[in-house]
Amino acid sequence: MQKLTGFLRHLFIPHEENNFRAKLLHHDFLTYYLLFAIFFTFILKISWLSNILGFATDITVEKLYQLTNQERQKNGLAPLNYSEELSQAAYKKAQDMFTKNYWSHYAPDGTTPWNFILASGYRYEFAGENLAKNFLFSDGVVSAWMNSPTHRDNILRKEYTDVGFAVVNGILNGEETTLVVQMFGKPLEKTITLNQPKVSQAKEKTSVLLPSPSASKKQIYPQPVVLAKEEKQNKLNLTKFSLDINFIFLTFLLLALGMDLYFAKRLGVVRFTGKNIAHFIFVIFLLISLFYLPRGKVL
Amino acid sequence: MGHFLPYFKKEIKKHLFDYLLLISAGVFFVVALNIFRGERLIDFIILLAFTSFYIIWGIYHHIIDDTLHLKIVLEYVLIGFTLLFLLKMIIFP
Repeated sequence: MQKLTGFLRHLFIPHEENNFRAKLLHHDFLTYYLLFAIFFTFILKISWLSNILGFATDITVEKLYQLTNQERQKNGLAPLNYSEELSQAAYKKAQDMFTKNYWSHYAPDGTTPWNFILASGYRYEFAGENLAKNFLFSDGVVSAWMNSPTHRDNILRKEYTDVGFAVVNGILNGEETTLVVQMFGKPLEKTITLNQPKVSQAKEKTSVLLPSPSASKKQIYPQPVVLAKEEKQNKLNLTKFSLDINFIFLTFLLLALGMDLYFAKRLGVVRFTGKNIAHFIFVIFLLISLFYLPRGKVL
Repeated sequence: MGHFLPYFKKEIKKHLFDYLLLISAGVFFVVALNIFRGERLIDFIILLAFTSFYIIWGIYHHIIDDTLHLKIVLEYVLIGFTLLFLLKMIIFP
C-alpha cells in the first residue's frame, strides 16, 4: 500500500524526486501520450477496420427505428411499421446524393424524394423525408430531428403509418460522409382497406406491391439497410471507445495539471515550465468540444 | 487553496490580456464547431487552428514573461498535438 501511495505521489505530486513537477507532465510522459494518440488514430483504426468501407459511426437502423417510435409513443401516436420499400427508397436517395454530389431534398436535375418512393413500388397517400449527415450516434440524429420544428413535425405526423431508413457511407463534395435518410409514408391501399385489422396491414401491403413492375428491381438493391447492420458489429466499439478515450484522457490531464499546480504552489516551488493555467484552459475547451463533435447536420 | 488562489489571481491579473486572448480563442473554437457541425473537414481545420493558436500563444506568452525555452515550447507542442490526434478520431471516425 505504501509503495502504491509513493508511486501515485511520484506521478501526481511535485516533489524533490520528480524535480518538482508531476511525473505525468514530464516530457517523456507527454511523448508517450502523443505516441499513444498516434497509435489510436492510425494503427488501431487500420487494424480494426481493414475490412470495412467508410466511417466508423455508431448509427444503426434498429436504433433509429426504435427511437423514432419512442418519440411518437411519447406524444400519444401509434408506432410506425418498418417498410422495406421505404428503406429501399431511402437507400436509393442516399446513393443518388453521392452519385450526383448534392445534399438536399431535391436533386439538381429535379428528382424529388417522391420519385424514389414510387420507384421502390410504394404507392403513397402521404409521404415525407428527413435527412441527416455526419452524426456519430443514432440518438444524436433523432434528437437533432426532434429539435428542428419541421423534422419534428414529420416524425410526429399522425397520418404516417410506415417508415424506412438508410445509413450509407460515401464521398460527398470530396469528403467521406455518413448520410442518414428517413422516409415516411402512408400507403394508398390502406385508405381503401381501412377497416381491416391492423396486424394484417403490413402483409396486405406487401402482397399488393410485390406484383408491381418494380418488384424485380428490388433485387438490384439487396437490403440496403443491412449495410449498416453488418458494419455495426465492428464499428460500434471503436466509435464509443474513441469518445470514451478522449473523455477519460482529457479528464486525467485536467486532474494531473490541477494537482501539479496546487501542490507546486503549496510547496512554494518556482519552476521553469509551461503555464498549467493555459493548459487547463485549452483542455477545458477541448472537453466542451466533445459535446459538439459527435453532432452532424439535419436537413 | 490558501496558496493556490492568490497565485491564480496574481497570474491572471499580471497577464490578463494573454488569458483573455486564449479564452476568446476557445470561445470562437466552440462557436465555430457549433456553426460548422457535420462538416468534418472544416471541423478538423477549426481544431487545427485552435491547437496552432494555443502553441503560438504559449510561445508569445513566455516571450512576454521572459521565460521562453525550447523545453517549454516542446511541452505546448506535445500537449497540443496529442489532443489534436485524439480528437481527430472523433472528427474522422
